[in-house]
Amino acid sequence: MRYVIAGYVFVLGLLALYAVALVWRRIRLTRAVARVTGPDVTAASRSGVATIDGPGAAVTAPAEHP
Amino acid sequence: MTDELTTIPVDGSATAHPLPLAATNIRVSPPPTPSATARRTERTIGLLALVGTAATVWLGLWVTPPDKVQGDLVRLVYIHPGVAWVALYLAFGLAAVSSLLYLWPRTRALFWDRLAAAAVEVGVVFNICTLVSGSIWGKPTWGVWWAWDARLTSTAVLLVLFLGYLALRRVPAEPEVRARRSAFVALFAAVDIPIIHFSVDWWNTLHQGATVLNANLSPTIHGSMAWTLLLGFVALTLVFVWMLLVRYRIGALEDWLAANELDLALVERQAEGVGVGASGVVAAPPGPSDDSPTDRVGVA
Amino acid sequence: MWRDAALVAGKDLRIEGRSRVALSQVAPFGIVALVLFAFALGPDRQTMAKGAPGLFWVAVLFCTVLAIQRSVSVESSDGASDGLRLSGIDPAGLYLGKAVAVAAQLVVLEALLGVGVVLLYGAHIEVPWMIVVSCVLGTIGLAATGTLYGALSSGLRVRETLLPFLLLPIAAPVLLAGTRIWQAAMAGGTPSDGTQWLRLLVVFDAVYLAIGVVLFGPIQETA
Repeated sequence: MRYVIAGYVFVLGLLALYAVALVWRRIRLTRAVARVTGPDVTAASRSGVATIDGPGAAVTAPAEHP
Repeated sequence: MTDELTTIPVDGSATAHPLPLAATNIRVSPPPTPSATARRTERTIGLLALVGTAATVWLGLWVTPPDKVQGDLVRLVYIHPGVAWVALYLAFGLAAVSSLLYLWPRTRALFWDRLAAAAVEVGVVFNICTLVSGSIWGKPTWGVWWAWDARLTSTAVLLVLFLGYLALRRVPAEPEVRARRSAFVALFAAVDIPIIHFSVDWWNTLHQGATVLNANLSPTIHGSMAWTLLLGFVALTLVFVWMLLVRYRIGALEDWLAANELDLALVERQAEGVGVGASGVVAAPPGPSDDSPTDRVGVA
Repeated sequence: MWRDAALVAGKDLRIEGRSRVALSQVAPFGIVALVLFAFALGPDRQTMAKGAPGLFWVAVLFCTVLAIQRSVSVESSDGASDGLRLSGIDPAGLYLGKAVAVAAQLVVLEALLGVGVVLLYGAHIEVPWMIVVSCVLGTIGLAATGTLYGALSSGLRVRETLLPFLLLPIAAPVLLAGTRIWQAAMAGGTPSDGTQWLRLLVVFDAVYLAIGVVLFGPIQETA
């Protein structure tokens, strides 16, 4: 039974650790982006690339560059 | 030119609040911010994944009965095949297909490259889970921590190939170049894995007389055990999907920051240069030089 | 394409002939590897003889990595790779030419190592033609995959550490097959033991040669 526990602990632990790492990385990156584009993210899009659908449309995921 | 003037806080520390991009004469494409729906989807999937995994653990460790043959060890069967399927088929398959789609001229888009990279990285984590959980299951079952059968060996080789892919991606390069290179490596790996699996299978059966180190589960799995197994598959797949989405987002943000590195550094420079306190309003700050990237939409 | 291949192969081999790197550096390295293996496996000749096929092929793999590194580095000085691309040489021909050159060097190395293994480890070979055929097929496979990965990693400063890491897992089937064939050849058993593996090698070679011929052009553009 202790093998089972060990297995569960390892797998779930590793997945949890990685999940936390991912979330933390994303937070760090969004902060870095926000720092540069200013307090209001849409400010960047307003003066950024103009799109047919208006400034807000450019800010969608995923950002594709054909 | 700027079409709006922005005030900057007069607090004596120019670098603490660098100019928002909007106030400069530098143009970059907007950062990849997710839409509300994307965020909501991600959150829902994450929640479902969490709930599903918790349910699997609860069912697997407490509710379901021990197996007649394997005893309590069967509980590992609720997660091991789940992570294995994700690592070996879902992640790997996705990476291979995405890489192919990237290389195919008609469908070429950095989206596929980013997706492949995300799939590989998450796949590595699941791969390690597979190997370890398989090994832990193997020790009491077969008496050895490791066996050189086709499945385990192929999983290990896949891990190495994945790590090679990630190592190659770390090499600094233009996004398209990096994408192409990675895609080729993924493609070759995809070709190689079946060959390896096949070879090792032969290798074993021919020369160790079919030592049936069968990584398959006992075929008679039914009732609550079957449902828990299914739940395990679903929950772990959802975990993968959630991780994939987050990792993709990370990749997109990193790429944006890297692509506009120069421009963003210029923004910070200008923040220092303009100085605080002259007035509360900033007009178009002077560009650093005549060949400043004013006309450049800084996209890779 | 074939003419370009011959041109490129001739060039690489001539460079090798003049600089003799493979002969003076890679070959001795192979011998050193054999000696080290002997130290590792201990003085018992039985063990060494049993391990001989595998050790031979591992030594060959190491030499392959070195040979590929050399093949790639030949192009990286003085903008030679740009010159090659501008010269209008068919990329498939370039690929085949480089692969052939590497293969030629490897064959010579294998002959040397093979003799070394037989002498040093006391390996007795019952069915020599299998050895020869397996070496030829294995070499083709190693040269094909090696040239491919060499191109992928050319121009990268981390190539020295990255190339082995990328290449060796891909080359593992050659190791598996080659070893099995040698063992069959040494055991003198029914040739069918070995011929299945020969067939695997043929498939392996065909697949990667095809990939190389088709994709070498696009790969070059990533360098």
